[in-house]
Amino acid sequence: MSFDDRPGLYVESTIIMTTVRVVAPFVLTFALFIMFHGADTPGGGFQGGVIAGSVVMMLAFAYGIESTRQWVDVRVVAALASGGVLVFTSIGLGAMLLGGQFLQYTEYEFLNSHASKYGIELVELGIGGIVAAVAIGLFFVLAAGFGHAVDEEGDA
Amino acid sequence: MNPPLVELALLVFVVGCALGAALLRDTLAAVMAFAAYSLGVSVLWLMLQAPDVGLTEAAVGAGIMTILFLLALANTVTPDPDRLLESVNLRTVLLVGGFVAVMAATVPALPAIGDPSSPVVGGEVTQYYLENAYEQTDVENSVTAVLAAYRGFDTLGEAVVVFAAGVVALSVLRREVFA
Repeated sequence: MSFDDRPGLYVESTIIMTTVRVVAPFVLTFALFIMFHGADTPGGGFQGGVIAGSVVMMLAFAYGIESTRQWVDVRVVAALASGGVLVFTSIGLGAMLLGGQFLQYTEYEFLNSHASKYGIELVELGIGGIVAAVAIGLFFVLAAGFGHAVDEEGDA
Repeated sequence: MNPPLVELALLVFVVGCALGAALLRDTLAAVMAFAAYSLGVSVLWLMLQAPDVGLTEAAVGAGIMTILFLLALANTVTPDPDRLLESVNLRTVLLVGGFVAVMAATVPALPAIGDPSSPVVGGEVTQYYLENAYEQTDVENSVTAVLAAYRGFDTLGEAVVVFAAGVVALSVLRREVFA
């Protein structure tokens, strides 16, 4: 049995769609909480990013991978991933420009008296962006199957 | 010393899931056993009072890896397994059994959970972090303080590894965009 003969994975279930519609906002809030509040409670960018990425997977589970793929903008995914790296490195290098060492948050204290805390939270957000975007991206790349890569190789 | 019933049950569950993931012939069943194993291990991390690691294990190990494995399976054709369990090679059993025995022999040398004289608690480095983390970094979670401040350069490397994984996946699959 070839891949094309099989029935699609997506079942248009009202129960799943309604559940996801109710649960998704809470999951996204929880993900942001884990990311923002990681400085004071267990959690942080890596964990929160994965949970944020799983929101898109929940949507794909409920509404079908193809329609979710059309809804999620490619540029947003790429911008989140590279923007996260950019935020992290620019905070680190910015401290060096101000005369400190790499990621020496105390150099930013002229902006805010809690510069260290906010700097760490910003870094966690950057990590969260990278992880969420890569999780979403790998999900879509895997869901699309590997057929394209093989086809192009055959043509070349 | 009798371990509490909950921990014992959890240990049996985790080892059972690990054996299931290793021995089940149906790949779908093995993936599900692996997810259950990760969930059990994440609870174990909580019992060892490492909630940060537990969260990661639950989100990455039990959550996202299972979804990615399932998607990869959906892209392949699964043959009907003719029998339930993988056939086991005697030499493999001896080798794995020997390795497990060696690892298990080190367990009695570990300090008890929460032992105040254990090197982790009493160590100079740990004490420095616990005493100075809040004053120096302004965050209450000393794990985050180590991760983002004391060893921020390490964490930058980790984050870039995740980023690189995405880029490599695209280039291996000869794609230009994620979605």
